Amino acid sequence: MSKIVVLGAGIGGHVAAAHLRRKLPKDHEVLVVSPNRNYQWVPSNIWVGIGRMKPKDVFFPLEPVYRKKGIGYKQAKAVSFHPEGDASQNKPYVLVEYVFGEKAGIQEKVTYDFLINATGPKLAFELTEGLKPGTNKAFSVCTYDHAEQASTGLNALVERIKKSNSRAKILIGTGHAKATCQGAAFEYILNVERELVRLGVRDKVEITWISNEYTLGDFGMDGMLLTYGNSTLKSSDMVEMIFRDRGIKWILGAGVFKMEDGKAHYENLEGEYKTEEFDFAMLIPAFSGHGFKAFDKDNKDITEKLFKGFMIVDADYTAKPYEEWTVQDWPETYQNPSYPNIFAPGIAFAPPHAISKPRKSKNGTDIFPSPPRTGMPSGITAKLVADNIIDAIKQGNMTLNHKGSLGNMGAACIASAGYGTTSGSGISMTTYPIVPNYNKYKNTGGRDLKKTFGDIGLAGHWLKLTLHYAFLYKAKMKPFWWLIPE
Amino acid sequence: MRQEISESQRLRMQNPFIQIFKYIYLSLKILKIVAGGHGGTRKVIANPRP
Ligand SMILES: Cc1cc2nc3c(=O)[nH]c(=O)nc-3n(C[C@H](O)[C@H](O)[C@H](O)COP(=O)(O)OP(=O)(O)OC[C@H]3O[C@@H](n4cnc5c(N)ncnc54)[C@H](O)[C@@H]3O)c2cc1C
Repeated sequence: MSKIVVLGAGIGGHVAAAHLRRKLPKDHEVLVVSPNRNYQWVPSNIWVGIGRMKPKDVFFPLEPVYRKKGIGYKQAKAVSFHPEGDASQNKPYVLVEYVFGEKAGIQEKVTYDFLINATGPKLAFELTEGLKPGTNKAFSVCTYDHAEQASTGLNALVERIKKSNSRAKILIGTGHAKATCQGAAFEYILNVERELVRLGVRDKVEITWISNEYTLGDFGMDGMLLTYGNSTLKSSDMVEMIFRDRGIKWILGAGVFKMEDGKAHYENLEGEYKTEEFDFAMLIPAFSGHGFKAFDKDNKDITEKLFKGFMIVDADYTAKPYEEWTVQDWPETYQNPSYPNIFAPGIAFAPPHAISKPRKSKNGTDIFPSPPRTGMPSGITAKLVADNIIDAIKQGNMTLNHKGSLGNMGAACIASAGYGTTSGSGISMTTYPIVPNYNKYKNTGGRDLKKTFGDIGLAGHWLKLTLHYAFLYKAKMKPFWWLIPE
Repeated sequence: MRQEISESQRLRMQNPFIQIFKYIYLSLKILKIVAGGHGGTRKVIANPRP
């Protein structure tokens, strides 16, 4: 009998736990440890952030699903990793701390045969002075409660504009020089713009995009060349076309470092220090690792064997210049090289480097996006990790037959551009591969143009809504859930 | 040349009738890419079971 412990119940952790449970006989134990008692479909938080969905529309409680399916669950957070056990415990374990109920604050050693670390990112608001959701007129949509707060803030602003007939400024984008997840901010700015039109106050509001990207449409993926109708278009041109069409201004190469009431202070690539004022802002914070520590059996600190901010996996972490980056640098199995029974899919793994070209300001500050790992690759990498563990348990040896490098994987991204059954809009995009392969696709920006395309329109909104319902159905593990791809 | 969304494009983008066909077309196209699979980019030496 094997025991598989999954840390985190986000897209990655939940997908891994669900597949493990479905494919493994019941005498093997699957246990999920996660501090949030709810599963949230994060991509729909942008709709919570404009008040078109309620938080309850995007989450459901995990425990009843897990109980029904025979998956163990502890509402706790991982504190430290002990992959060799310790003096009193032979087996590898994770020290976890309960966060809810009678056991809140109590720590426990959770032993495992296989460990999946799917703890995603820490939302590192503290890395930007004064950036905290709901303060200084700045908000976040990274979680459903942040998004609900943002919706309240946006509503209050609209009411104020309507009452006083005054003008206002909205700032949306990234809140740190090395933030990622530009896609989510992009969706939010377009949704906010549409809402302001719907509420009849669009002409009173100046909307500005602020981002650490060097060009529009970089998305932390070095931008892309895509098929658009019968032509080929750069993602920068596509986003510029959309922003112009919507009357959205933009500030690029901006590393926001400090927030004050209605003010975002940033440094740009020219090395200038500037301030942008606003009445409402939504800025994505930096994502960091959780700061976990690891210890060997003698209680010696071995954190550097497991973590490099995020968890170390089978990537090539050798530092090299942008020109020498290859797709081979990216991990394929998400296995920790020091402890082969530990894996880190989704956002939890340490990427070998960025995808976008690194840039420094004239003052030497790094200002460029960190690499994004969106929902689809998070789900795919979690499933392949689960499949490799299942094979290892069933066959008795670790064959690692299941592989999925971001350099050999496509991603679909349906960016909402406005909510509404007939008035909504979405930008449907696919990219293959996620990490550009400049050797294979020399003349097309590292991407296969047959599989990299963009489309704008109402159908995109319907698609995004379909995904919302389909993925919540899947996450609830309802009949034939596993037929829905990751 | 600067790209712009023309009035006729805008009408097509928001026309529910046209967009139903777009929806089916895009769903299939995306599914094809998603179902296209994934794999490695280099050889991995198999590890023994821990
Ligand atoms: C607003 C927004 C919109 C987005 N929209 C899209 C989109 O349209 N399409 C798309 O593909 N992607 C989108 N993404 C990205 C997508 O949400 C992420 O790629 C995905 O959630 C990553 O999954 P994950 O499981 O790695 O991490 P997460 O989903 O962050 O899950 C991490 C889990 O770990 C748990 N955890 C945290 N700390 C601990 C601890 N100490 N111990 C145990 N558990 C812990 C958390 O509670 C959580 O359950 C969006 C992201 C945001 C923020």
